[in-house]
Amino acid sequence: MADSEYALELKGITKIFPGIKALDDVYFKLKTGEIHALMGENGAGKSTFIKVITGVHAPEEGEMYLNGRQVAFNHPTDAQKAGIAAIYQHVTCYPDLSVTENIFMGHEKIRRRTRCILWDDMHKEAERLLGELGAGFDPRTPMGALSVAEQQLVEIAKALSVDAKIIIMDEPTAALTSNESEELYRIAERLRDNGASIIFISHRFEDMYRLASKVTVFRDSKYIGTWNVDEIANSDLIVAMVGREISQLFPKKEANIGEEILRVEGLGKAGYFADVSFSLRRGEILGLTGLVGAGRTEVCQTLFGVERYDKGKVIFKGKELKVRNPRDAMRQGIGYLSEDRQKQGLVLQWDIGRNITLSALEKFSGGGAIDKRKELEVAKSLAEKVGVKAKSVFDLVSSLSGGNQQKVVFAKLLTAELDVLILDEPTKGVDVGAKSAIYEMINELARSGYGIVLVSSEMPEVIGMCDRVAVMREGRITAMLDREVLTQEAILKASMDDTAPGALEGRRAEA
Amino acid sequence: MEPRVLANKKEFTFKSFFLQWEWLLVVLILAVSVMNASLSEYFLEYDNLRDATMGFLDKAFIVLPMVFIILMGDIDISVASIVTLSSVIMADLFNHGLPMGWAMVAGLAVGTICGWINGMLVVRFKELSSVIVTLATMIIYRGIAYILLKDQASGKFPDWFQYLGWEYIGGIPFILIAFAVCAIGFGWLLHKTVFGRRVYAIGNNATASRYSGVQVDKIKVLVFTLAGLMSAVTAMFLTSRMGSTRPNIASGYELEVIAMVVLGGISTAGGKGRMIGAILAVFLIGFLRYGLGLVNVSAQMLLIILGLLLILSVAIPQLKQRFASMRRI
Amino acid sequence: MKRQITESAGVPGAQINIGKPARSVSEMIGKFRELGLLGFILLLSVGVQLRNPSFLTWENISDIATNTAILSILAVGMMLVIITRGIDLSIGATLAVSGMISALLVSHYPGIHPLLAIASGIGIGLICGMVIGCLVAWVNILPIIATLGMMNVYRGLTFEASGGKWVSAHQMPTGFKAIATGTLFGVNNLILIAVAIYIVAYYFISHTRSGRRIYAVGSNPDSATISGIRSGRVLWLVYTIMGGLSGLAGVLWVSKFASAQGDTASGYELSVIAACVLGGVSIAGGVGKISGIVLGSVLLGILNNALPMIDVSPFWQMFIQGTIILIAVLINALVKRGIDRNHLMRRKI
Repeated sequence: MADSEYALELKGITKIFPGIKALDDVYFKLKTGEIHALMGENGAGKSTFIKVITGVHAPEEGEMYLNGRQVAFNHPTDAQKAGIAAIYQHVTCYPDLSVTENIFMGHEKIRRRTRCILWDDMHKEAERLLGELGAGFDPRTPMGALSVAEQQLVEIAKALSVDAKIIIMDEPTAALTSNESEELYRIAERLRDNGASIIFISHRFEDMYRLASKVTVFRDSKYIGTWNVDEIANSDLIVAMVGREISQLFPKKEANIGEEILRVEGLGKAGYFADVSFSLRRGEILGLTGLVGAGRTEVCQTLFGVERYDKGKVIFKGKELKVRNPRDAMRQGIGYLSEDRQKQGLVLQWDIGRNITLSALEKFSGGGAIDKRKELEVAKSLAEKVGVKAKSVFDLVSSLSGGNQQKVVFAKLLTAELDVLILDEPTKGVDVGAKSAIYEMINELARSGYGIVLVSSEMPEVIGMCDRVAVMREGRITAMLDREVLTQEAILKASMDDTAPGALEGRRAEA
Repeated sequence: MEPRVLANKKEFTFKSFFLQWEWLLVVLILAVSVMNASLSEYFLEYDNLRDATMGFLDKAFIVLPMVFIILMGDIDISVASIVTLSSVIMADLFNHGLPMGWAMVAGLAVGTICGWINGMLVVRFKELSSVIVTLATMIIYRGIAYILLKDQASGKFPDWFQYLGWEYIGGIPFILIAFAVCAIGFGWLLHKTVFGRRVYAIGNNATASRYSGVQVDKIKVLVFTLAGLMSAVTAMFLTSRMGSTRPNIASGYELEVIAMVVLGGISTAGGKGRMIGAILAVFLIGFLRYGLGLVNVSAQMLLIILGLLLILSVAIPQLKQRFASMRRI
Repeated sequence: MKRQITESAGVPGAQINIGKPARSVSEMIGKFRELGLLGFILLLSVGVQLRNPSFLTWENISDIATNTAILSILAVGMMLVIITRGIDLSIGATLAVSGMISALLVSHYPGIHPLLAIASGIGIGLICGMVIGCLVAWVNILPIIATLGMMNVYRGLTFEASGGKWVSAHQMPTGFKAIATGTLFGVNNLILIAVAIYIVAYYFISHTRSGRRIYAVGSNPDSATISGIRSGRVLWLVYTIMGGLSGLAGVLWVSKFASAQGDTASGYELSVIAACVLGGVSIAGGVGKISGIVLGSVLLGILNNALPMIDVSPFWQMFIQGTIILIAVLINALVKRGIDRNHLMRRKI
């Protein structure tokens, strides 16, 4: 049993889900006591990679070594026993159970002989762990009553409670303000100093520079490389992550901005967002960015009629807009491309053609019956227009790559006569080739007179594509940045600063 | 964007055509018919087949909308109670002096309203699932029937009402004609219309359907209402055939109807299956029941067989899928 | 509004103390459901007593208690099933088949010890439950379909086992009938058994790992997978326990009423589900307390007993039961919505 300098080593990992290769021959080496950043864009395979390490998914190919010894995890408990703990991106909690139980689920403290759970000990231990992390809530509180940041602390406490040697943090800062992130950095450093090895997953450079000593990059489910953080230039890292230089990725676009088409005034929904105001003109691409959970998606979904707002009003084409459901919104001329295309955008079990025509079926029907020939014709021409790569329109959508699936969703939007398109993370989980095709498509749409709201977390995308950017934090718009003042720093400041949103009011560009 | 041409012809292979679930049902129906024919020399005679068919077609009317409900990933276990309630109300109104025609209209209306209530509860309380909603209304509807009729029978309908379930038109039973018309109607609705396409969409992915502008709630309410209406139609035929009604008629129909739908290849996970399968399953179970009657199998044994059929027809696709995925690894 | 955000987010780290916002009505109901149920039970008792003075007599109360005992034993199992987001419609049939077989057993071998009869009933119930557990947990059949199918199978088996005949009082030895009528320390056996089951169940669901995992699976099945909980095993266990309890209830039922029939307890599953939802067990899974379902069962037991006493026709019973289920689940759903809304309000946006 050779002791290795690596706490964890993975070689040639391949994981296949029906229809997609989520990981393709991936390598990773984690030294004992280091913080190793794992970077890549959304959908690069990072999350699947963690689930392989933690035993949730068994890989089809590849080997895994723990301290130089080969291991194979068939089940999450195997990984837990080996001292691996993960803090997942989407907090995975039991909302009905107490904080203590959430921390100790799967490894409760029990009395040896009677196998009785020692509640008092667990509450005390939970209190201690939470205290260490600087959290002030009672461990007996039900998990569902906590905020996202608090729930994240509980997740960290969970990792601490198993005394994990390897801790994986999956985008832990995605929803945190800068003060909260700073606190998280300190916790991570303390864990490292106590001998834990940490895999820190993020697509934010600040996280990496602040914390990590090594960085590994994945792109399109493939392993790209590993570097020392102080040896790689920022631009090289971007090329590694994105696949080409950013300037090549975004097409030049001549602004051709027309009259105002949509104006939102003081929109609010209790618990989600408040005081959201902006306007959008024909031909304009308005960026909407901010931390995960800042309320961007919620605003879009309210405009699209998925949810209702309880304050403010929306003015569309000069008239006040009232939509009760997505159908109304589409009839009026507002289209929405959702963030989660697998759950909200597509019927995966269906073929390309049927997916494209679903939202405009009336157009192909006479007396209620569907005119299948006409439907097929339209579906075929739209699929060809957006450049879906497939053999026929009868190919199942589930068999397509992420990029091609997204093109199908775009084709769906083109079936209706729309004026405003709300695109929520349109390039998430899409490979580079498809990405630039999508960017070109968005520009093309803007040129032809659509008003476009582009929601995105990817900084280069926001800066490269948008004419103006609204930054949201904690449910409010904290800045409206024009193209001339659009920099990474300005966006970050507006999205993460802990000062009251009101303080930034003075700096807002005229909307 | 490079221009690209997509094929717009579907590939047709004989293998995939004959590997459909419906062919299995056809084979099973033939097998059962052979069994029945060997048990009784009269089975294959026209008169006999005709009368056998009349015996089991009453509940088949509920199978049609139940296909839609299960396709959407929901379930309705209150249908049998709706049958009872609309039958009892019809009888009650008739006995209170309402002309039979109007009593029938009232019965149909009651069924429709019951279905509508189910639908409204299901869409307004999404966290409850249709199982618990229709479980509660199942008890309530039958409860109302008991309140109205106590444990008595009610009957003495006019003669023409009896014809509904017993009469022939041109040598073909009226009930069979009515069923054929309904089946064609529902089949057309499911497979040829916008409405049917949307039902499939909801069953496969309700969220995506909503985001695509499908009015999920409206369609669900409509489908549950249709189930109520068709239950009332069943009530008419059943009452006509029995000549009287009681608050405990049609008990256990929900099991039979759901078993027929599931046996017809409609997936309980939603979104998969065809109307023709369910219709074949109606005849399969009907003939099976007839044949078992010939060999004097008890009603209780029939319960067991029906229960097992239900379980098997759900389990087989599940197990097949599981073994397929095991082989891939 | 804005100031509040500054206060909560301005503190370094996540030192956000949850304030004490005004409690909404729904949260109050959620918190004090048991007290409310108790109050309602008392009110109902007083009301019925005023109409019919023979209600609160010792005899009648013990009658209610013994009836409620069987109901609440089943409710314990049903609660576990519902917590995992399932439902079991087969328990009436499981009860009947195990009651019938143990009755046949004692009528053929009158010398058999009553405990052995109980054990045989539980054993048959366990087998019935295991079959359903396998179907739900490993074959992945929806609980409603699996239990609807097996309900008919078990009911059919009950008839087949008895050949359609009854096993009546004179065929049963006194020792067997004494299971339900006997007393220990002056308390009826049924009540003792029920109380013992509450205690064991309480210990099981709040102080053992397996018990807590039932809640975990119901609260969030996806998280459960990631935490390494084998949900299949938990589901199987839950339906098996349900079967075992139905088997026990079957013996007790047959012993109490001194007859075993083909249609014993048909439709009884509905009362059990009613007791659970009355007691606050959430159909959405993850929520349920022993104290709640005991009170729910008591309330239902009192209703069943009291309605005839205040001259409500027995034909109203079914309707009332259905209405209770419907109203209880609707209230549960609204309470949960209210609590969720309150959690949102805490975010102060």
